[in-house]
Amino acid sequence: MTSPEHPKDVSNSGGARNPSDIVRSAIFDELVDRWLSKVAVLVAIYVTFRGHNAPGGGFAGGLIVGGVFVLQYLTGREPHVRFRTILHPTRLLGFGLLLALGTTVTPLFVGATPLESHIWKLDVPLIGEVKIVSSMFFDLGVFFVVVAVVLMILLSLGTRQSTVFGDEDIA
Amino acid sequence: MSFSLLILTGVLFAAGSYLLMERSLTRIALGVGVLGNGVNVLIVAAGSSPAEAPIIGRVGELTDPLPQALVLTAIVIGFALLSFVLALAWRNWTITENDEVEDDVEDRLITRRDSSSAKSTDERHREDVSP
Amino acid sequence: MALLVAVLGLFLVGVATAVGLRRRPLVGAFAGLAVFLAGVAATVVEGVGVDEAPTATVKWLSALGLDLHFSLDGFGVLMSLIVLVLGFAVLTYAIAYFEHDETFARFVGVFLAFAGSMTGVVIASDLFTMFVFWELTSICSFLLIGLNDKSESARQAAVRALLTTGAGGLCLLGAVALLQVDVGTTRFTDLVALQPTGTLVDAAIVLILLGAFTKSAQFPFHFWLPGAMAAPTPVSAYLHSATMVKAGIVLLARTSPAFGESAFWQWWVVIAGCVTMLIGGWRALRQNDAKLLLAHSTVSQLGLLTVLVGIGSPLALYAGVAHLLAHAVFKVGLFLGVGVVDHELETREVSRLAEARTRLPLVTASLVVATLSMAGIIPFFGFVTKEKALVALLEADLGNVATIALVGVVAGSVLSVAYSARLLRALVRRPLKVAAEHHTSRVGAILLARPVVEAAGFSLAFGLFASFVGKVLVAPALSLDADAKGKLVLWPGIDDALLISAVVIIVGSFIGWRAPLTATRTGGTRGERTFDRIYDSTLGFAKRITAATQTGSLPMYVAVTAVVATAAMLSGLLLDGFPSAASFVDDSPMTVLVALLVAVFAVATVVVPLRFTAALLLGGVGYGIAVLFVMRGAPDLALTQLLVETLTIVIFLLALRVMPRRFAPASQWVPKWARAAVAAAIGVVVPCFALLVRESREAPSVAADYLTRSVDEAGGANVVNVILVDFRGFDTMGEITVLAIAALGVVNLVRVAERQRRAKSAGSAK
Repeated sequence: MTSPEHPKDVSNSGGARNPSDIVRSAIFDELVDRWLSKVAVLVAIYVTFRGHNAPGGGFAGGLIVGGVFVLQYLTGREPHVRFRTILHPTRLLGFGLLLALGTTVTPLFVGATPLESHIWKLDVPLIGEVKIVSSMFFDLGVFFVVVAVVLMILLSLGTRQSTVFGDEDIA
Repeated sequence: MSFSLLILTGVLFAAGSYLLMERSLTRIALGVGVLGNGVNVLIVAAGSSPAEAPIIGRVGELTDPLPQALVLTAIVIGFALLSFVLALAWRNWTITENDEVEDDVEDRLITRRDSSSAKSTDERHREDVSP
Repeated sequence: MALLVAVLGLFLVGVATAVGLRRRPLVGAFAGLAVFLAGVAATVVEGVGVDEAPTATVKWLSALGLDLHFSLDGFGVLMSLIVLVLGFAVLTYAIAYFEHDETFARFVGVFLAFAGSMTGVVIASDLFTMFVFWELTSICSFLLIGLNDKSESARQAAVRALLTTGAGGLCLLGAVALLQVDVGTTRFTDLVALQPTGTLVDAAIVLILLGAFTKSAQFPFHFWLPGAMAAPTPVSAYLHSATMVKAGIVLLARTSPAFGESAFWQWWVVIAGCVTMLIGGWRALRQNDAKLLLAHSTVSQLGLLTVLVGIGSPLALYAGVAHLLAHAVFKVGLFLGVGVVDHELETREVSRLAEARTRLPLVTASLVVATLSMAGIIPFFGFVTKEKALVALLEADLGNVATIALVGVVAGSVLSVAYSARLLRALVRRPLKVAAEHHTSRVGAILLARPVVEAAGFSLAFGLFASFVGKVLVAPALSLDADAKGKLVLWPGIDDALLISAVVIIVGSFIGWRAPLTATRTGGTRGERTFDRIYDSTLGFAKRITAATQTGSLPMYVAVTAVVATAAMLSGLLLDGFPSAASFVDDSPMTVLVALLVAVFAVATVVVPLRFTAALLLGGVGYGIAVLFVMRGAPDLALTQLLVETLTIVIFLLALRVMPRRFAPASQWVPKWARAAVAAAIGVVVPCFALLVRESREAPSVAADYLTRSVDEAGGANVVNVILVDFRGFDTMGEITVLAIAALGVVNLVRVAERQRRAKSAGSAK
């Protein structure tokens, strides 16, 4: 009886081979893991913050980080291994939601309507005037939520033995 | 309104709804994807005219930003929904080695179960009368 | 109006008792008693002896003209006093009656809430306000009938009562709407002043009558009231005899001066009232259970009140109000008295009532007094009001209607004398055996007996001092109708009415005394059975519909939804015409090319038999659309779409790698061509509809507003992003919540499937 438990059974049963087998190569590995991922995360954060004035924003930024995880996954690395020791995806999800919610309700405490933006203008030496808008934190919350969502979906469907979400309680 | 986008919307709706009417969960997921794309194109095509991106400071007439904002979240939510359907398909396959949606037998049983347990009007009244 | 504070107090204490004081219901009960007294004091101070009735308005939805209006006029004072004084008396009784009963807290809570609602009904000065409190009384009644929620028959009776009175309540709401639209007001005083007529007003009249008839258990809605006797005795005495069922009468009394002139109204009121009187009286004559006897007698008396209050003669209205008071007093006494006997002997059989005589002499004597008042025997109050009713109908200048009403009332009175006589015989005859043991404590016995004795005392005292009662309590009822007049006297002198009464009493006594104490047939009435048939067949119909439509087939559901949506859009197109002169922009060749490519990919997604290929084609659709977005001036969308498509393909690959390369041959639940036809129809109708919608747009886009405010208010130049995180940030908040839920759903689906798979493979390994 063919059980889909072992990867080789899967390939025998007519399904495609495990994607991690397809594209694994040392050079790619090195490139992706060492450099691309770090650069991409920086790009993602940049895209998130510049979104207020140019194409980008929390959704796009979060998806870029998601793309990095995909690349890592395709190269056979488990994207969560280092990551989850710092922040479990579910916790990241909650953190993002709380951040967005916090930005939503904070104006209430200073007598404004929910989500009303506050604009701080700072004079930073050398760079000049920097404008910080409170809704950027909302976008940051969106960013974290999207990162967490992509990570959760990827880890769930991507791992044979679901170690991250094994038997501990998630919801 | 762009004629080619309008026709494209029609094709996407037709293809998507055809796929949704299948039994295979994989094809239903494909249908969700195609139909979602169709809706997004429809909103953008019907809600705004082609013009410069709505970023203050750009030269020329700016297009309507609202449909874009609606569609942007719709794209991401569509992704989450698609993942959910795929997770369903994956689950069905893992448990039953089959990714088809079976007919929900419970739905049909509701009537039968209910009529067997409920008493008829007259029955109840006979019980009321008896001491 | 201080009385409103008392009403609010009743609600608050009620809720507090039912929710917070479950362990100490007595605290709630005593607080409730205090509020009752305060309410009585407020009513007397504010309402008695004042020239102008105090009014109050509670603002609710002023913008829609929905405020609550109250007025404590003379009729309101009388009714409030009945509600509050009897509430006080019945609650003291209930304290003893519910000794050691765990449902007491719930009872006290709902009871007090009911008293508050009922006070609201009687002092409401417009139909809308009355409707609000009316519905509250229906709900309280439902909860109290079903107080013993372990009894199936009690639950059924509660449902019957709720559905019947609830349907009536909906009728009343319809009347509110019609009057508001047609006449422009639902204030009772305005309606009386305007005397509205017309087709819509006639419809409103029908609805008002339906509301009143269902609430006051008039034919053909009389069946729910005897069933409501499943409730404990204090509930039956208070709600289903003295107060709530009078709400219909109150409604008739308030509206009859406005609509009573119409022959239509008069006929319906008289026919329903007379038929109810006769049915109730006849049934009351044949009951074994004393409580059911009283219930049917209440139905019959409500019929009499309906005729008197509704017929539209000022004198009859006066008599009706007087009789309402008389009935409330003697019927509460009777119910509570029977309850005492029940508590002591644990039986309510008419044939065994006499057994209580030696043990409960005072209660039995009070029951006798109340029964005599019910029969209309001099010198009790019931006699005074019955006489007044006969005089009013004799003198009414209404032609045939009054004659029929008179015949009906006389026949009904014969029956009511008859069942009273039967009850009297049951009370005074020599008992077959004497009950031995005591059930009730001494304090309890006093608490139980006191209101019974008081009710009997008042029945006598009101009769003896009829003219005083008439002047103080009943005369202000002319606040209802400026023409309503009359006075009460104990001895009217020998006139036609007295002679009729004499004949009625003789004939009735003869029938009643001969009637057997043990009747042969009891059980559900025809009305109840009819109700249950309607109820059951409605549910059966719903089940058959469910069986026919809920086939359990997901593709079928999708197809039906698609067909209905297409039909809806198509009908819109056919009604408004297909868009003819649509303004198309010129597409660049590049746009046409990409759109064509995307369309080809989409069609290919449908036809390829390979899973991965289909998924990749879907990705192709998405990438193509991203290109189109760029060309439309939507870089944000293009960026997001590109990233999402990439992720989507990966997720597809991950999910599909466990499955075979090819799709299994599709199971043919519907022929392929049918699905294709539905899909094609959607593909044609949706773009047409989109075109129609776009062409018929009138309001300008909010875009201009967003574009001007974006930089100044939200400090961002990318308006799409500013909309997402600022202008419409709440939407985004909701959307990321949906994202989170979907992700959690995926995680849990996979986790559960993993666990099942592991369990299965562990099982098969053994």
